[in-house]
Amino acid sequence: MAKSDSPMLLQGTLDLLVLHAIQRGALHGYAIAQTIHLLSDQALKVEEGSLYPALYRLELDGAVSAHWGVSENNRKAKYYEITKRGKKLLAAQQETWSRLSLAVQRVLARQP
Amino acid sequence: MRRLFLRLRRRRSMERDVEAELAFHRDMAAAQGNPTPMGNTTVVKEQARDLWRFTFFENLWRDVVYGVRSLRRSPALVLTALLSLGLGIGINTAIFSLAVEFLFSQPSVTNPGSVVLLILGGNSHANPEVVDFVRSSGLFQAVVGENEETFINWNDGAETRQIFAVQLTKNYFSALGVPIADGRGILPQDTDEAVVLSNRFWRSHLRGDPAVVGRAIRLDGRPYTVVGILPADYRSLIGLGFSPDVYVPPYIEGTRLAIYARLRPGATIGEARAGLLTVARRLDQLMPGPFPYARECRIAAVGGLDRLRSETGEEGSQILGLFFLVLQVVVGLVLLIACLNVASLLLARGSARRRELATRLSLGAGRGRLFQQLFSESLLLSLMGTVLGLALRQALAAALDRFRPPLPLPIHLHLTMDFRITVYAILLTSFAAIASGLLPAWRSIRQTISPDLRPESKLRMQRVMVVAQIALSLVVLTAAFLFLRNLWRSNAISPGFDVRHTLRADVNLPPAAYKDDLRKRAYVALSLQALAGLPGIQAAAAARIIPFTDNTSYGSELTLTDTGRKVPVEFAWNAVSPDYFRAMGIPIVRGRTFLPGSLAGSDDTAARPVIVNRTFAQRYLADREPLGRSFVWGRNQTPSRIVGVVEGTKTMSIGERDRPQVYEDLSRIDNDRTRLQFVLRSATPPAMQLQAVHAALRRVDPDAGLQVETMYSSIGLAFLPSQVGAALLGGIGVLGLILAIIGLYGVMVYSVSRRTREIGVRLALGADRRDITFMIVAGAAKLVLIGSAAGLLCAFYLVKPLAMFLVPGLRPSDPISFLAVAALLAITGLAAAWGPARRAASVDPMTSLRYE
Repeated sequence: MAKSDSPMLLQGTLDLLVLHAIQRGALHGYAIAQTIHLLSDQALKVEEGSLYPALYRLELDGAVSAHWGVSENNRKAKYYEITKRGKKLLAAQQETWSRLSLAVQRVLARQP
Repeated sequence: MRRLFLRLRRRRSMERDVEAELAFHRDMAAAQGNPTPMGNTTVVKEQARDLWRFTFFENLWRDVVYGVRSLRRSPALVLTALLSLGLGIGINTAIFSLAVEFLFSQPSVTNPGSVVLLILGGNSHANPEVVDFVRSSGLFQAVVGENEETFINWNDGAETRQIFAVQLTKNYFSALGVPIADGRGILPQDTDEAVVLSNRFWRSHLRGDPAVVGRAIRLDGRPYTVVGILPADYRSLIGLGFSPDVYVPPYIEGTRLAIYARLRPGATIGEARAGLLTVARRLDQLMPGPFPYARECRIAAVGGLDRLRSETGEEGSQILGLFFLVLQVVVGLVLLIACLNVASLLLARGSARRRELATRLSLGAGRGRLFQQLFSESLLLSLMGTVLGLALRQALAAALDRFRPPLPLPIHLHLTMDFRITVYAILLTSFAAIASGLLPAWRSIRQTISPDLRPESKLRMQRVMVVAQIALSLVVLTAAFLFLRNLWRSNAISPGFDVRHTLRADVNLPPAAYKDDLRKRAYVALSLQALAGLPGIQAAAAARIIPFTDNTSYGSELTLTDTGRKVPVEFAWNAVSPDYFRAMGIPIVRGRTFLPGSLAGSDDTAARPVIVNRTFAQRYLADREPLGRSFVWGRNQTPSRIVGVVEGTKTMSIGERDRPQVYEDLSRIDNDRTRLQFVLRSATPPAMQLQAVHAALRRVDPDAGLQVETMYSSIGLAFLPSQVGAALLGGIGVLGLILAIIGLYGVMVYSVSRRTREIGVRLALGADRRDITFMIVAGAAKLVLIGSAAGLLCAFYLVKPLAMFLVPGLRPSDPISFLAVAALLAITGLAAAWGPARRAASVDPMTSLRYE
């Protein structure tokens, strides 16, 4: 079903990034993609093909809630807001991620 | 749960939402100079759709619609399939309803869990004063009494007939909360002439007259006011379909009542039992009697399996439970046969649709999706079959509702539709869908994927199915045939005495007043005199034991006085008055009965006269003429001399082997018991004599416990199990056979149509038409033969547990049953093959070669 080669890692990471992007307030999909893009110093580009499925999944899991609102340029847009459950998920994933990246860095820093 | 809710909420707007959102995204990106790549929007939409996973059901719905359309084009298939599944599922739900009714039904009272049956002194019934006493003890929230074994005479203005009545205390309806369809229950302030009618009596005897409540009907010559009518689905406390005609306050003085009570809220059965024991002890002080009430106090539940246990005993309830289990298994096999029918039809159809499936596959349909579509057709068929089956169940229930079994008891089964049956029907539907659809769907797809598979393999699969069907139906038929043989056997077995023209009185003398043997003898003499004087009574006799109600066996050694030989013996013993054999209709083979005139005895005093049955004479005295021979046995030193030889009777059960029997003269034995029985031979129908006999015995001793019933009602129930078993299993067996034959016929027709070309070639090459017929019939015979062999093997092991339901002497492994059933199958199977074979032989070579 999923078209990605390593969906688990990507999906997990993307979830983390999305949750992080909206923790300060509700954003619409495009703004989320932009936020991630900018915060990564334009290193990461989030395709809508992976962004929206991730958002829908998070919504079904109850980590974000969605509602239609009006965007900054006066258009109807769907806004995603982090929920309590999402905040917990974010904290947990952040923790896992930092441990993982630290471990990876440690491994790469030393010669075998 | 939450996810499901979200899905439900979002599903409809989802597609539109995603579209709008993506459009917004694109526009934003375009406006800002497209810093993000586009990606594949279709994938997003499909993934979103998959997330809201209702696609499965939506596809299913589409498949069902498609299935309806394509099934409409093959009405013959649909008809056969629906008939098979409808019969199979109908009989399954009907048997299941019957089992639920028998094993798990609750009586129609409010909160049946808190209603209990009280048993004092080991007796199911007690005097009315006892009922009042238990009530006044305050141990229970309410205490009611009822006697369900009574007749009352109902006069409809022209004719008087006996109907079944229940006598009950006036608080019965209010205390138990019995539902009333029209009017009200009997209330404590009502007069003694108030009656509540059963719905059935009201409908069948009063033509469902809506204005009957408030009017009077004549019962036992007195006008009774009808106060209410029970609902049609009323279930009595006794259960097992027991449904008498009318409910009245006690009208026979001193009728003993079964005591039912409602537990106080929160009270447990254990607490109530302890309390009841105290009450019984006080009762024993207050009304000291021969049978202490505190001796055996029990409290039994009134619903479901607990009631069954208390009414039929532990063993009885187990046998009944197992019987329904066997029935359920057998009808399950019948359903399996039906499913195989449908499966082989679908299989045949699958090959006809190969092109369609191949096209769809090449257009990119997933195999799973295709499988789902094929499977949904069998689901559709199963669903329709279930609807048909439930209709059949309703029809059977309605027929059973009208049917009054020819029994000495008012049994009337009311099979209602409830959630248990609905759940069971749903399970059956799924089972039928899987059993009939899984294999054909899988085969069809596999065959489409690898078309190099020879079409013969499909035919082979069908043949395997027919073999399975024949094997299954052989198992079912063997079980059915066993029960039929059981019926023949037990009907052919005579109990050895007349049950149609006799009645029986069971007397319990108060032991305190009858300590003396002389008093007992005097009672017997007086009673016999009174009974013999009744109009219509041809013979009256007393006995210690009437067969099927009681039994005394001796296993000892007797010494023949003439030869001195010692013989180990085992026999059933009885002590009877001289007229016993005439009253019971037991033929005297040789010699005579005891001589009348008790005390001094006209039989000589040097020897005690005994009468033995033929089995006794043959088994133990075969060496010489039995008449006049003497023997010593037991503790008696006085020799016993044989004065007569009689035919044997059954003693405990209808299926038992012939047993040696010894009768002694009732007036000569030391009678240590206070239980006595009388048997009466009546010129008029015995049921008409019940009241007169009761009254006559009541006059002799007003204090004696009395129970008077026709001989038929006391032993008629002994025949019931074999009749019911044979009727049920016989019907099911025939159904199974028909279904299997339909299957075989279908396969033969199909295989002939597949081989039309081959047959044409054979004919063109000079084959005789008779050879063709033979070839087809031989093909069928092979299937029947293999199926029968497999079935025999299965049946041999599967019917073994049936032994417990059969009369002794009829062994389930009896080869006759197997052979008869196999022969029946072979004959019907070949008959089914005959038609298609004839059709094959009449093929015109020219047409058939152009065929295809």
